[in-house]
Amino acid sequence: MFNQNYVYPFLNNYANSNTNMNLLNQQDLYRNSTMPSLFTPAVGLDNGNMFSNLYEPYKNYKPANIPANNEREAMMRELARMAFAAHELNLYLDLHPNDASMITLFNDYREKANQLMREYDQKFGPLTISSNSLNQTPFMWEKDVWPWEVKPNV
Amino acid sequence: MFSYTKRLQYPINIKRKDLAMAKYLVTQYGGSNGEMAAALRYLNQRYTMPDNRGKALLTDIGTEELGHVEMLATMIYQLTKDATPEEMKQAGLGSNFAEHGKSLYPTDANGVPFTVAYFASTGDPLADLSEDMAAEQKARAVYENLIDLTNDPDVIAPLLWLRQREIVHYARFKELFEMYEKEFKNGQNQKM
Repeated sequence: MFNQNYVYPFLNNYANSNTNMNLLNQQDLYRNSTMPSLFTPAVGLDNGNMFSNLYEPYKNYKPANIPANNEREAMMRELARMAFAAHELNLYLDLHPNDASMITLFNDYREKANQLMREYDQKFGPLTISSNSLNQTPFMWEKDVWPWEVKPNV
Repeated sequence: MFSYTKRLQYPINIKRKDLAMAKYLVTQYGGSNGEMAAALRYLNQRYTMPDNRGKALLTDIGTEELGHVEMLATMIYQLTKDATPEEMKQAGLGSNFAEHGKSLYPTDANGVPFTVAYFASTGDPLADLSEDMAAEQKARAVYENLIDLTNDPDVIAPLLWLRQREIVHYARFKELFEMYEKEFKNGQNQKM
């Protein structure tokens, strides 16, 4: 069965937008792919692993499904998902630089991560020192909590 | 060069103080199989990789490990930040408090300071990648030991996550090792 927790790389540009596509075609396309099946970015971040063939649970522990308690955490979580997915494909592409469909998928996640970083920046402050929002006073680099602090629940 | 991104790779929010667990966790910060050793191992070995696959993979995994150093530091900081000197003393962290206060300092679980003697860099890609594969397996084993030592879900979640990263990195190093081994044996990369 077509599993919603997985991304089928060849289908990535179509699967979400075209709901009329029948499941048989989707499976056939996947079967013809030589690529490993990937988790979605949301499942991948929870697991710490985008590649379903590499995923090995420990004992009977399940990956945590950490709640996002507010808008800031929700935006940060979505950014972490896309950046993690792009990073995982980055490591794969280091060894398979001619895998064109994986490059397409990498770019999809990379662009989403960049867009989410800009949106987070607008609302909560810059995440990198190259941000455009640093052209004001006071210096915005110190805005927002540092990553190691326990986050306020607001 | 490196630039900082002001976020963790995976969220960490530990609410419960646990000095004993902090004392154990520090080994994955500054111990022999820890993240600091991993980052320095890969970032030193990358220069003598025989081609761009190796240079890219060791750069990218080494960089990720720097992010894991920050995750371990975050866990230790959050587990200890509300402790009093008396509590530190009772948890066996009195000498640590005497030397470092509440600050972060990379040691193993027995307080032995970090040393670069924990890793090798031989200039031989097969030897270096074998070490990298072993390092990822040892770190996975230590994460499993650490998971067995706690029941706090806020601590278990990032430990499970970091353990899974060791599995992925091991698979990538093994893949590259096998590529190089094959190419080397076929005599295609004699300058390797």
